[in-house]
Amino acid sequence: MKKKVLLMGKSGSGKTSMRSIIFANYIARDTRRLGATIDVEHSHVRFLGNLVLNLWDCGGQDTFMENYFTSQRDNIFRNVEVLIYVFDVESRELEKDMHYYQSCLEAILQNSPDAKVFCLVHKMDLVQEDQRDLAWSSIVYQLIPNVQQLESNLRNFAQIIEADEVLLFERATFLVISHYQCKEQRDAHRFEKISNIIKQFKLSCSKLAASFQSMEVRNSNFAAFIDVFTSNTYVMVIMSDPSIPSAATLINIRNARKHFEKLERVDGPKHSLHMRMR
Amino acid sequence: MGSNSRIECIFFSEFHPTLGPKITYQVPEEYISRELFDTVQVYIITKPELQNKLITVTAMEKKLIGCPVCIEHKKYSRNALLFNLGFVCDARAKTCALEPIVKKLSGYLTTLELESGFISNEESKQKLVPIMSTLLEELNAKGECTLPIDESNTIHVKLIDQRKDPLIVQEYDVPVFTECKDEFFRSQWDLTTQQILAYIDGFRHIQKISAEADVELNLVRIAVQNLLYYGVVTLVSIFQVQNLIDNKSVQEECLLYVTKPGQKRASLRDVFQLYCGLSPGTTVRDLCSRYAQQLHRVDERKLIQFGLMKGFIRRLQKYPVKATRGDRSRPPQLYTGCHSYDEICCKTGMSYRELDERLENDPNIIVCWK
Repeated sequence: MKKKVLLMGKSGSGKTSMRSIIFANYIARDTRRLGATIDVEHSHVRFLGNLVLNLWDCGGQDTFMENYFTSQRDNIFRNVEVLIYVFDVESRELEKDMHYYQSCLEAILQNSPDAKVFCLVHKMDLVQEDQRDLAWSSIVYQLIPNVQQLESNLRNFAQIIEADEVLLFERATFLVISHYQCKEQRDAHRFEKISNIIKQFKLSCSKLAASFQSMEVRNSNFAAFIDVFTSNTYVMVIMSDPSIPSAATLINIRNARKHFEKLERVDGPKHSLHMRMR
Repeated sequence: MGSNSRIECIFFSEFHPTLGPKITYQVPEEYISRELFDTVQVYIITKPELQNKLITVTAMEKKLIGCPVCIEHKKYSRNALLFNLGFVCDARAKTCALEPIVKKLSGYLTTLELESGFISNEESKQKLVPIMSTLLEELNAKGECTLPIDESNTIHVKLIDQRKDPLIVQEYDVPVFTECKDEFFRSQWDLTTQQILAYIDGFRHIQKISAEADVELNLVRIAVQNLLYYGVVTLVSIFQVQNLIDNKSVQEECLLYVTKPGQKRASLRDVFQLYCGLSPGTTVRDLCSRYAQQLHRVDERKLIQFGLMKGFIRRLQKYPVKATRGDRSRPPQLYTGCHSYDEICCKTGMSYRELDERLENDPNIIVCWK
C-alpha cells in the first residue's frame, strides 16, 4: 500500500531537516549541512510492512512554488493522502506564507479532497525534538491502516499483565504508533522524551558496533521494560506493582510477541511489519 | 566562423535562497522569455546528479548549452553556491564547437570563485555583464576571445573546427605531400615531424622512413597521422585503374607532374593510354615492358603516384591464406587472409620477391587479391 505524503512550506523552514531526522537517522547537527532542495525530492520509506510512505519533499523557493500551482499542479496535488505544511515561526513574510498556504489548500481541495492536512510550526534555533516527534507520531498514526485493532490488542495485553502503561514504537524511527495507559500520567511529553532517549542510546551503541536489544529500569516506584517486540516494533511496559517479579513480565512479553506477530500475518500484507530505509 | 554556430544570447543563471532559480544577467537583455526559462530551468539549475556536467536542452526553437556548477561550503546560504553560465543558439544550429567553450568557462568561473569569491561578491559579480557582452561579440565575429578579468586573470577561448579522426597509419603506408613541400613551415611543427620531413617523398613507406631518419617507428606513425589530420599529407598505397577524371585542370596538373625532368611535356594521349593499360593484376613491370614508348617522357613512378593521390587508381594487395590445416608454413599466424604482402614483408623483413617465391612454392597457401 502506497501513501503519498506532500511536505510543503516556505524555503528554509526545515522540511528536509525533519525528514532526515525522522526517517534517515540524522541528528540535528547533521542537518545543518544540508543544501537547498531543488524542485521535488522523492523518497520511499517502508513503514510497518507493506505500508510505503511516498514522501514528496518540495523545495519552497518562489520559482518552485509557482510551478507547483501551475504547470505541475496535477502531478503534485493528485492522489495525496497527507499534506504536511511547515511554517517558520520566525518568518517576516506572513502574508506571503499565508498566500502560498491558501494556494496549497485550494489545489488539494481540487485534486485530493480527502487528504488530511497537518500544519507544523517550526522553530529553527531551538532543538524541539519532543515537539517534532510528537507531530510526526500523530501524522504517521493517521496513516497506519489497522491502528484501532492494534490499540485494542495492546489494551488487552496491558490489562492481562496488569501494566500501568504499554507503548509500541516503530523500530527504526522510534515513533510511538500505539499506546495504552490505565491512568493519567503527569508528563504529557513523556513519549517523545523516551523516544529521544532511546534513539540517542541506540546511536551510542552503534558507535561501539553493538546493537540495542533491551533495557530494564527499576526504582522503588516502578519497573520499565523496553524490548524488541515484533519484527518492526519495540515495546515498552511500565509496571508499578513491585510485587510482580521481572521474570514474570518478561515471560508475558515473550508470549505476547508471538500473538502480535500472528496478528500481523493473519490480516495479510496490511499487518506485516518491516521497516526499510532508502 | 561558420554561421552555423552563431550565439544568440549568453546568460548567467543562479539559485537564489528565497527566489529559487533565476537569470541574473543575460546579453542581449530579455532574450530568454519567462516561459522558456520555466520550461528548462530544471536543466539549468539542477539536482546534484546533473551538476558539473555539460547539458544541452532544446525547447521552443532554442538550444541552451550550459554547465551547472555547485560549490559546497558552509559560508554560502543553504551551504552551496549554484550557478550556470550558458549560451543560447537556434535549435537547428550545429553547436559541438561551442561545448568545450562552455565547459571551459564554467571551470574558469569556478576557479575565480574559489580564489577570490568573484561570483558571491555582489560588486565583482557585476563585471560579468561586460564580460558576457564581449564574449558574445567576439566569438560571433572572430571565433575567439581574450578577456582580462582582473589584474591577475585573463580568459582565452577559441572555437576549434572539428575534423574527422585520421586513419591509423600502418608501417607499410606511404605518405606524400598534398601541397608543395617548399611551402611547408618547418618551424611550426614538432621535432619529430621536422626530422622525418626530408624522407616523405611519396615512395618511402613508414618503416623505411623510420629506419632512414633514425626515428622510432611509433613516433613516425604518430607524426604522420598528425600531418594526415591537418591535411598536409595523404597516404597512398598504389594501383588499379578505377576511373579517369575528365577535367582540364587535372589533366594539366597531371602532365606537369609526370613528365620526366629534362624532357618535353608528355602528351595527354600517352598518359591516358598508360592509365588505361593498368588493369587488375598489372604490375609496374608489365607496364614498363608493354608501354615502353609512352614511358619515354613519363616517369612511371610519378604516374602511379599521381593516380593514387587523385584516387583514380587503387592498389591491389595480395593476401596469402593458409588453405589446409596443420601444415608447417612459416610464419603461420600471418597467413590468415587478413595480412597483405606489404605487411608481411614489413614484419618479417623479407623482400617482396622473397616472399613471393616462398609462397609460390608452398602448395598449402592460396593468394587472394583484394
